[in-house]
Amino acid sequence: MQARRILPLLLVTALILSLAPLSAALAQETVTIRIRCKSTPPTEDWRCNNFAEVEEEVEAALGIDLNLVLIQDNAAWGDYKQEFQLSAEAGQAVDIILSGHEDIGAWSAAGFIIPLDDLIPNYPEFEDVVPSLWESMKGPDGKIYGIPQDAEARPMYFSKLLLSDLGWSDEEIEALPERIASGEFTMADLFDVAEQAVEEGVVEEGYGFWHRPVNGGDFLYFYYGMGGEVLDENGALVFDQDAALKVFQMLEEARNRGIMNGSHLGIEWPDWHTTVAPGERVLFAAGGTWFWGDWAVNYVADRGGEEYLWENIGFALIPAMETGRPITLTHPLAYMVSSSSQHPDVAMALIAAITTPEANNRHAIGSAHLGILNAQLESPDYQASEFLAKAHPMLDFTTFLPNHPSWGAWSEAYWTGIEAVESGELTAEAALAVVVDRLQNEVPGITIR
Amino acid sequence: MANQRSVVQDAGLAGEQGTAVLARSRRRTLRAQLTAYGFLAPAGILVILFFFIPMLLILFLSITNLSTTNFTTDIVRMLRSDLDIDLVSFRFVTDQPAYIVGFDNFERMFRDEFAPKILFNTLFYVFCTLAFFNVGLALVISLLTTHIDRRAGFFFRALWILPRITSPAVYVLMWRRIIAAAPFGILNQFNELAGRSEVNYYQDHPWVFVILVNGFIGASFGMIIFTSAIESIPKDLLNASLVDGSSVFQRIRYVILPLLRWPLLFVVTYQTLSLLTSFEYILLLTGGGPGLYQTEVWSLTAYNRALNTYFANAQWGYGSAFAVVLVIIGVVMAIVYMRAFRFNELVAEPKIEVL
Repeated sequence: MQARRILPLLLVTALILSLAPLSAALAQETVTIRIRCKSTPPTEDWRCNNFAEVEEEVEAALGIDLNLVLIQDNAAWGDYKQEFQLSAEAGQAVDIILSGHEDIGAWSAAGFIIPLDDLIPNYPEFEDVVPSLWESMKGPDGKIYGIPQDAEARPMYFSKLLLSDLGWSDEEIEALPERIASGEFTMADLFDVAEQAVEEGVVEEGYGFWHRPVNGGDFLYFYYGMGGEVLDENGALVFDQDAALKVFQMLEEARNRGIMNGSHLGIEWPDWHTTVAPGERVLFAAGGTWFWGDWAVNYVADRGGEEYLWENIGFALIPAMETGRPITLTHPLAYMVSSSSQHPDVAMALIAAITTPEANNRHAIGSAHLGILNAQLESPDYQASEFLAKAHPMLDFTTFLPNHPSWGAWSEAYWTGIEAVESGELTAEAALAVVVDRLQNEVPGITIR
Repeated sequence: MANQRSVVQDAGLAGEQGTAVLARSRRRTLRAQLTAYGFLAPAGILVILFFFIPMLLILFLSITNLSTTNFTTDIVRMLRSDLDIDLVSFRFVTDQPAYIVGFDNFERMFRDEFAPKILFNTLFYVFCTLAFFNVGLALVISLLTTHIDRRAGFFFRALWILPRITSPAVYVLMWRRIIAAAPFGILNQFNELAGRSEVNYYQDHPWVFVILVNGFIGASFGMIIFTSAIESIPKDLLNASLVDGSSVFQRIRYVILPLLRWPLLFVVTYQTLSLLTSFEYILLLTGGGPGLYQTEVWSLTAYNRALNTYFANAQWGYGSAFAVVLVIIGVVMAIVYMRAFRFNELVAEPKIEVL
């Protein structure tokens, strides 16, 4: 009686026990990977969205169950970086962070991100990355800390509309990029044209030449263009007073001639783009290639989008200054793996899976960024983009920011000087003194020369 | 003396019974004290958690050079890096990168050629916001709204609370839209309608708007305190002044304002200290600009140095040194205010049943 009652129970128990290994095999490990991207919507959204496209592929390849958390918005770079720094400090950072390559300097020194040299050889996808980009992915210790996500160039945009108001013929306008590239049309010439435009009332005073309204990488090409260097042969930061003074004098002169008046300083990015993109108010504007994609979709869409831009806006290298050679700056963004990540191998597998011509083309073509893979540059889709075809050769003239841990302090000090001169608060000489003082106070071990 | 002795003698005479009475009263005192501390505990714990411990932390951080580049959370390692003592010469030796840098940060801070400007900005900002809005306007609003129809008064006061209950980011966003350059800014659109030339408010008048933005929020605090104080003035006093034939202004000058002395002092004290450390609206509105620290205040500098750099190098140690200065100023001012305004009298039991 008793045995009969216990028997079914035993059978059921046995069944459950025998199924246990099977169910364990069926229930795959769930791995959560959090990825943080900054994007100007909608053109740059593939920075994070590409990961969703390859989720199943990576799940199948690794035999795991992925829980992808994509966090993407258009936060200001300063806030965005601060968010990562504070979360990394607390050991709770996302697994993959997309940021500018120059952050590798400070973040690798702080231990917020991990070196990837040992992991990279496991993924053949990375072999095709344009070799020069790897240089900008290295930390001060020589190790690689990032995987290139995109690249760009920073051109000088000019308004064809306003140049023709100034009496330039279509041929002259179309020839301008070539004249700048050959070094014939220099920054001094650009300021002459801008001054003429202000004097003749083609643009309002202060709207002859605009650059970005807040600090950023752009300003370094002025300094490079004046013959300045940021790193010495030992990799230590230097500040060339001579080059910086020339930059400040150039900007001071631009202010004195009415080309700039500080009206572009501190305004909101959307207002900046709204003012510049239609080509009706600002003659020359220094920007990035990605502005093209942003403008076409977000600022002149109602006037005909990219077609309107081709008609009314041109772009060229930054004209030559002291060195006699035109210039631009490339600021590759990189996916970095945080030291808070529990699964760096899975993170790398995901990054590898989107480091393909198809995935990167989705991002590059829509957002007017330059490609990062050799195969991509040769792909028909990439070559079919007129803008990228014209922008890509700018890389021959490109420069980079340094990956130095104290780069932030250097850049802030230099920007302080630029802002002071352009708002008319200080003369170029006084601004230089302020910057030198600040650098000596804030950057230990810097060489001022 | 004589009294004390006689108590002791009485106790001695009463013997065991007296000892029991003493023990009971001691227990009662103890219990009363415990109850008092019990009531103080929630506030005390908060002050310890959110003032004393952070203060000790920034005091410690301010003597280190902790930044992104030498980041660590290991306090023991930070201390050890500098405090190895050579037992033979009995001197500190360092063979690891030092975290403890003594007063270097403070030296750097005082060498910074903008420190005096930023300090002056801070005083200017605190004084103007306090005088014109947090006390001045608050007093005007509460006097006006208590002298009109009660419901209308309530309505206007509710309006003035709006800036305070609006999210700071949204509130400042609205202001930025108001003062933005032409053709985006609302003020400039009015300028255009009126045929006036456009004004770059951000570049030309940053202080006006920094103080307006903060003042519109700050006014409501004083307004609430003053209004409740005015409304709790016994009607007899006001009626008596009416009977004596006083005008509205005389009544305000000779009856209401003298009775507002304590609320006024409280608002001045409290708001000075809170303005001294507030920077979020300035950060959002001007970021300390335009140009060379035109509207940068001390607490914003502390924030910028410690946390906010565009190219990713936060100097926690240096920023903390700025914060320490604020703690010192704050504590000193609190003591000065409490002494100068005789806060002991404020919290003393009232001698008569007024207020």
